[in-house]
Amino acid sequence: MTDIIWGTVTKIITTNSFEMNVSHQKDTNNDSYQDVEQIHFTEIDIPSIPVDESSRDILQIEQNLKDKFVKCEISGRNSENRLVCSVSHSGAGGY
Amino acid sequence: MWTTQILREATNSTYTDLVSGKTPALIVPNVLSSSFCISLSRKILKTNLIGFNLGISKKIGTSLSSHIYKKSEYFSNALLSNQTLKNLFSDNVSPIDVMQQTISKILQKKISPAFENEMIYSLAMIRIHEHGDSVHLHRDNSNFEMSEYGISNLKNQLSAILYLQSPHHGGELTIYDKMWDKNDERMRHPEFGYSLDLIKNVTQKKILPVTGNMIIFNPKLYHQVESVIGLKSRISLGFFFGEKSKNHLCSWT
Repeated sequence: MTDIIWGTVTKIITTNSFEMNVSHQKDTNNDSYQDVEQIHFTEIDIPSIPVDESSRDILQIEQNLKDKFVKCEISGRNSENRLVCSVSHSGAGGY
Repeated sequence: MWTTQILREATNSTYTDLVSGKTPALIVPNVLSSSFCISLSRKILKTNLIGFNLGISKKIGTSLSSHIYKKSEYFSNALLSNQTLKNLFSDNVSPIDVMQQTISKILQKKISPAFENEMIYSLAMIRIHEHGDSVHLHRDNSNFEMSEYGISNLKNQLSAILYLQSPHHGGELTIYDKMWDKNDERMRHPEFGYSLDLIKNVTQKKILPVTGNMIIFNPKLYHQVESVIGLKSRISLGFFFGEKSKNHLCSWT
């Protein structure tokens, strides 16, 4: 089973990576994760963020991700020690 | 003292006090008569076009929170939802119209349904809370959470709820004297709402769901619906509205 973590995006690093405060971890995760992790996202479900990386810019990523609560499905860690994840929005804070 | 205002006559500060959260809620009594609400509730409970939502057994209508990043699906569902409500209210005056007219009169502003690229938003939602149903602590904040949608740009967003049927016990709306802050996102629950740690020792106001009463409040104040007890459901009709311009409000769900 894929490990999953949830938390808020605190800083955008590049057009495909950000830093997050990890507030929730799935009970059955195989690994444990730090309170702050850097994420390299390979997929994201937010339509305003283009799939094509060359069409993205940092401001656009900030507008759509900064301070947002997201779910990260982890497939591994890369050479920069960033978690490689599929990122999606998670639930809702209200109606 | 942080206390609800029961509408006898709107003052100049009614709107600003709601927007700032200085007043937890405005209660507008007897927007609809009891007999009208009873008849409408019977009709609602007979309809079979009922879905479900988090914490709620049944609902009629669609809302943005189920479609945060599924915009085209939302507008398709909104069309169906609006038609369902229109059919449901076809025998009598529409309670949505009554709510809008009442809000317009109280706040002295025009109010109309929100549109985006000629597509109409969902007009309202009926929520049916049965025995044991409750809604966990949350806030509603389209400005922050619904950034894909045009209504996220509307200022001073408020919520309007009309109670169509009171339960025997419970079902109160508890509003806390705490406005959402983006730092609170670290206290989010993955599926819905927030940790109760956010409202420890925070002043609260409980509002009974009295049949025929409408309440208006700032949905960025943390709130929850207490558990309904008994066989009689709590039925409410609600929508959000915000400022398109100083004197023009737009509504959606």
